[in-house]
Amino acid sequence: MTSIRRKGQLAIAGVLIAAALAACGDDSKSSTDGDSGGTTGEAITLAVNPWTGSAVNAYVAKAVIEANLGAPVEIIDIDENATWVGLDDGTIDATLEVWPSGHAADYETYITGKKTVLDLGKLGPQAKIGWYVPKFVIDAHPELATWEGFKDPELAKLFATAESGDLGQFTMGDPSYVTYDEQIIENLGLPLKYVVAGSEAALLTAIDQSIADQKPLLMQFWKPHWKSATVDLVEVQLPAITPECEASLAAQDGKYACDYPIDELYKAANAGLEAKNAAVFKMLSAMQLTTEQQSEIGSYIDGEGMTPEAAAKKWVDANPDVWKAWLA
Amino acid sequence: MAVSVETRPTLESDETVRARQQRRTIGLAIFAALSVGAVVAAHDVPDWMDSGIQEWAQDKYKWSVLNRQSSKIFTWLFNPIADLLTWAVENAESLLLALRWPGVVAVVAAIGWRTGGPRAALAGGLAIFGVGVIADWDHAMTTLAIMAVAVIIALVLGVPLGILTARSDKTERVVRVLLDTAQVMPIFVYFSPVQLFFGLKFPPAVVVTVIYALPPAVRLTNLGLRQVPVVINEVGHSFGTTTFQQLIKVQLPMARRTILLGLNQVIMMAFAIVVLASLLGTGDLGQDVLAALQKQEVGQAFAAGLGIVLMAVALDRISTGEKSVRHSRLATMMPKVSARTATMLAIGVPVVVIVLARVIDTSEFPSSLTFDLAPVIDDGVKWVQDNLRKGVPIIGGTQSISDFITLHLLDPLRDFLLWLPWLLIVVLMALAGWLSKGWRLAATIAVCLLLIGTMGSQGDITIWDHAMDTLSQVLVAIVLSVAIALPLGMWAGRSDRVERVLRPFLDGAQVLPQFVYLLPVVFLFSIGRAAGVVACVIYAIPPCIRLTSLGMREVPFAPREAAISFGATGRQEMRNVQLPLARKAILLGINQTMMMVLATVIIAALIGAGGLGLLAYRAAAKPQIDFGLGTAGGLSIVLLAIMLDRLTQAWGTRSDSEVSTKGST
Repeated sequence: MTSIRRKGQLAIAGVLIAAALAACGDDSKSSTDGDSGGTTGEAITLAVNPWTGSAVNAYVAKAVIEANLGAPVEIIDIDENATWVGLDDGTIDATLEVWPSGHAADYETYITGKKTVLDLGKLGPQAKIGWYVPKFVIDAHPELATWEGFKDPELAKLFATAESGDLGQFTMGDPSYVTYDEQIIENLGLPLKYVVAGSEAALLTAIDQSIADQKPLLMQFWKPHWKSATVDLVEVQLPAITPECEASLAAQDGKYACDYPIDELYKAANAGLEAKNAAVFKMLSAMQLTTEQQSEIGSYIDGEGMTPEAAAKKWVDANPDVWKAWLA
Repeated sequence: MAVSVETRPTLESDETVRARQQRRTIGLAIFAALSVGAVVAAHDVPDWMDSGIQEWAQDKYKWSVLNRQSSKIFTWLFNPIADLLTWAVENAESLLLALRWPGVVAVVAAIGWRTGGPRAALAGGLAIFGVGVIADWDHAMTTLAIMAVAVIIALVLGVPLGILTARSDKTERVVRVLLDTAQVMPIFVYFSPVQLFFGLKFPPAVVVTVIYALPPAVRLTNLGLRQVPVVINEVGHSFGTTTFQQLIKVQLPMARRTILLGLNQVIMMAFAIVVLASLLGTGDLGQDVLAALQKQEVGQAFAAGLGIVLMAVALDRISTGEKSVRHSRLATMMPKVSARTATMLAIGVPVVVIVLARVIDTSEFPSSLTFDLAPVIDDGVKWVQDNLRKGVPIIGGTQSISDFITLHLLDPLRDFLLWLPWLLIVVLMALAGWLSKGWRLAATIAVCLLLIGTMGSQGDITIWDHAMDTLSQVLVAIVLSVAIALPLGMWAGRSDRVERVLRPFLDGAQVLPQFVYLLPVVFLFSIGRAAGVVACVIYAIPPCIRLTSLGMREVPFAPREAAISFGATGRQEMRNVQLPLARKAILLGINQTMMMVLATVIIAALIGAGGLGLLAYRAAAKPQIDFGLGTAGGLSIVLLAIMLDRLTQAWGTRSDSEVSTKGST
């Protein structure tokens, strides 16, 4: 019994050793994966967060850097919050699309505080967080196009669910995104209940469900977003930003009662990037895309099913004037 | 896990009966007095009870952020460990890729053949081949590399720890609390610290996996060693063995089967956490699941998730470590070979395959062999979503079920729990503990609940209130799971055919990432607590079915035979003989269901369940602001879990003089 078992173990050990020997061959695949197309030098790592725009920026930068600056670029697909830890320790050299509203604390900690991360300047596109409803809601109740429509308890009740009871439900997606919605609801005195869906994917599914049933949905959402290519979402007008609201935001006193400020997307890099590769640092600092350019490349990916790499290459080949300016 | 022996004399003198009644009266009087005190005292948790744990944790987090480049803990300890882990995973990955896919299939089959015979070889080989068919092979190898490193570390740490716990009851009690914490503490709570400590990609992913997968290694090693009969230990001693010799030559070999079961459970746990670990940027199959979900591509996510399942099945089949007892047709068809020849074959065949595979370049899994499962699944999901939501005869559809769960189960229960004075809940739960087992359990429960009271608050809502919200969801989920699983488990326990049909689903469900069915659940049941409950129920049913069925099957045949020969009908025999005898296994199933539900609270928070799960998620979502809050939420989940675990385990061991043992998850 023992000896048979021992032989069995021996056999397993043998298999593993044979496998190891096989692996000691010349060309392990992963080592050839790393450097693409004759580029040399230390690899630059760019973060891609899980949305199309983020991939567009990173792959455009990758195409330009690899063809013109001779450094290999590695892409790491990573959660948006984890990105900051990588920027802090240099595992990630740069991220090219940060939404300021969601990362005020990170900015304060890493960029102004610890100074391990640098603000590389604006990317170009502007984004807008706000209150959104599917278009059919406005078609049926035009008065819901502004926040004042929601003061009517009967209209608010259109948004009621088992979770919200008699009040209308206001749905928030991922809790890591910035939100003043609870304050806005309370300070404007609206008959709404704030419910956290917990994730962006759950919120997107709620949109599909709302449209399938023609059941009204009020939520925090933002544009640009790939979902708006397939569903018609209308922004509800909130009170314009006042000096009082700006003061409240600065003081964090919970008295905010205005619209969301416009988000100017920016780029950020590890503080050591300039020393690591000055040319890449300069190019990334200069890099800018317009909203139109970004959505054009995005449509190659979401609409035509191209890989981000191919989509970026197609655009880079067709628009040398734009990116040559980044290298000047 | 505790091995408790409770004996009760069969014949009691009047005096002992009287003494017991007296103790009971005194106990009840004490609880009555405490209840009055609880009602008179504050209705809500008073402010002064806040222990400041949130601020403490937030400070520690901030310190780590500021000092991760300079502190010696980082430069001398964490950073070298991280480097080592990166090195190990990258090498394992390139090894697997260098074997080429035919080589990996051959190696898996060869290991399966030596550990489980031709059946395991075939099942393991086919399963790993299937991974390439439906999912991305290279990503799968990355997952496998992370798993391999994590599993080896879990064993290297877990087995010695198990040996230590087997030697001392005191160590066992301490370690048990740590293991429970590791298993129930939501991963999101330690997500951000692990990033700060170990960076991104592979090292934190391995660490997270080890934390989650370690408990079964410790538990089953401990169990295996404790099951070694005393007589055998005595024999060893009488031959003059040293303690070490005794361990190596007698105890560990005797405990081998249980420890191997531990290995198997470690692998399963590791695969259960793959998707969450890939939030750290691992670029593996788990990330394929997440990326697909981000675009609402349920079919894609499902295909990648099934790839994870197949990989787990392959490793499960080759790691169970016992040759199937029944002589399968397959086994008799194979020519008999000597052990030496078998060994040579097990080494030789894979080597030949690997060499061949490298000569004819097979570095890519051939696309002609792949199959795109996504459209098929998308069609199926669409059908379910279109047809089950409304207008189903009798039950009405998932939407009305969802409303019913929220309005008639969750709301009343939550409101009731919040209506009760908080200390009264502590006293009543302690009373349940005292009635189930005694003062010690009563004290454990009271301490757990009181500690939740010290967790502070989120704005003007106390953590206690969040905990009652979560408790109401957990209780509803447990009752629904048991109501569905128990009949199925009993049916499977009495019919081999049912068991055979259910088994692959049960195996798959245990490792199928919950993420892949979250979105259909949201579509069917709408965002909110009801959807969270449904997700918990789906996840918790399989272990309950499995353990119920196992319990029914382990009832010895003789008493059942006897009942039938006395003219009992099948149903009478089941109700009066088989079920009572299987009671303990069934209660263990319920206990496990409860732990699964509590472990899913965090996932439920991603589809609108709120409560403690959402707090815990905030620790990862906004660590700069909410790490302390999330820590308090996570600890409260652990405290609820320990309380419910100890209580239900007491039900399993209350009566009869018997040795009870709780296995792994």
